[in-house]
Amino acid sequence: MSPSSTDATQQNPATPAHAGVISNNPFGLGLRRTLAIARNAFREAVRDRVLYNLVLFVLLLIGGAIFLGELSAGQETKIIIDLGLSAMLLFGVFIAIFVGVGLVYKEIERRTLNAILTKPIGRGQFLVGKFLGLCLTLSVNVAVMGIGVSLALIYIRRGWDPLAIRIWPAILLIYFELTIITGVALLFSTFSSPALSALLTFLVFLIGHFSGDLKGLANTSSSAAARVLLRVLYYLLPNLTTYSVITPAAHGIAPDAQSIVLATAYTVVYSVVLLAAATLVFSGRNFK
Amino acid sequence: MSKNFLLVLTIVAALSVAVVLVRVIDARQHGAAKQFADESLYVDGATAKHLALAFNGLASDWYWMRSLQYVGGKIVAFEDTHTESFVLSDLDLHLLPSLLRLSTALDPQFIAPYEYGALVLPELNSDEAIALVNSGIANNPAAWRLYQHLGYIYWKRNDYEHASATYAAGARLPGAPAWMAAMGARMKAEGGSRGAAREMYRHLYESSNDSAVREMVARQLMRIDSLDQRDEIRNVLGAYQTRNGRCAASWHEVANELRAVQLTLDPRTGAPLDPSSTPYELIKNGCDVGLDINTEVPFK
Repeated sequence: MSPSSTDATQQNPATPAHAGVISNNPFGLGLRRTLAIARNAFREAVRDRVLYNLVLFVLLLIGGAIFLGELSAGQETKIIIDLGLSAMLLFGVFIAIFVGVGLVYKEIERRTLNAILTKPIGRGQFLVGKFLGLCLTLSVNVAVMGIGVSLALIYIRRGWDPLAIRIWPAILLIYFELTIITGVALLFSTFSSPALSALLTFLVFLIGHFSGDLKGLANTSSSAAARVLLRVLYYLLPNLTTYSVITPAAHGIAPDAQSIVLATAYTVVYSVVLLAAATLVFSGRNFK
Repeated sequence: MSKNFLLVLTIVAALSVAVVLVRVIDARQHGAAKQFADESLYVDGATAKHLALAFNGLASDWYWMRSLQYVGGKIVAFEDTHTESFVLSDLDLHLLPSLLRLSTALDPQFIAPYEYGALVLPELNSDEAIALVNSGIANNPAAWRLYQHLGYIYWKRNDYEHASATYAAGARLPGAPAWMAAMGARMKAEGGSRGAAREMYRHLYESSNDSAVREMVARQLMRIDSLDQRDEIRNVLGAYQTRNGRCAASWHEVANELRAVQLTLDPRTGAPLDPSSTPYELIKNGCDVGLDINTEVPFK
């Protein structure tokens, strides 16, 4: 049994000590079960040394801050932001994909899933818990990287730089994009092998950034069937261009409040769709 | 322990051999790499932006740095094979417009490549320079500095009417400094004068945050100062010739007159120093003055 599932079952609130709470507040209990799974998914990621990527990120930023001044003719601030936020997105996507596709698969492979599901934990709660756990890991990752970029900007300016604050809305949108990728990875991992899930998730990441082209193609296609298909794909696949604000952020241009609210709403709604679909697939699977 | 030592030794030895092999391969491919460096770019801006996904800013930075490296590499190659100072038209910079276009297509708000192109491209192809800066204005309509650079390109083409109109258009933008309107008027009245050139370069220097641009402009300011100095020195040499019926045999013979016009002299040879502190040369048997071959002042 893996340490994660052990922890999850040990912390399962469905014990006699919590019996009163169970009968009185089923929603609160469900939430606590889900959060217990999330906490253990986060612990497992930390134990798997996922956060070690931060060391690489810091080295990249330090190297960038020192050497790019020489190469960029005074444009080091822009390049540090481009480099830092792009690395944040890229590292985050790799974590979301490679950790995300293993979240469910590892539990099935080690047969720890059966032990968890014998407890009063629903499959949906299990998936949502795993999703939240990885989102928590990514939030720590993104926050530390964001602080790193802000400090690098202050170091380059040898003093306070307003960009150190202005980049944070862009960082928030990067985090939202990573949560969508996590959801996609989790969905694929419920019915596919890790390698195939990783490949499919990466393809969704690519297509998500070409979503504008899908719409453009739909508008210009001469075939009615193709137009319908492309439009369906456009609305069905995640629109990741919504979150692409790294380049404006490097010029100190932050997305407006309305864009952030819309992006937040889209992230929540799309995550719900992904988790519901994952639960649907996962509920139909037989692990005997 | 000895097994670990052997493994470490194997790694170090194999890596050393790999380094040697890479050097041999590099030596064999030297010609090919050089050819590749000048190879045309096959990806246009729109395609590059698509392929860059969310990383178009980083790709833009890459092409920006590659532009600088490209020009720097050409300068180094020129200096390795020539003894005289270079002028931009001496360098084969045919790839530079494409590199700058790509950088700005990937990040249209990135002002530095427009500025750099406005200063370097007029020496190669002013139409390319105008197209680049016009695209910058289209993408950044509030950036008065781009109007300043466009006005500069027109001025370089001796098109003072367009230069004046461009400065005037930039002056109307919010945040544009008052001297933009003044430059517009001056371009119309005395566009070809050295005073107008000095003022333009001074404003370019003061308004740019880009170290590469500032360095280029500083060199042009040195050139204008040097032109003034050479006029002064020619006056002194001409007066000496009139007085003595011959040209000066050495700088020492006109040292007092040169000091009188506020020129700094080399204490050893008495030669006046140019704005880069390099002694001027006495040429045409002492009848004229010229720049030393090692000076940092641009010849053109």
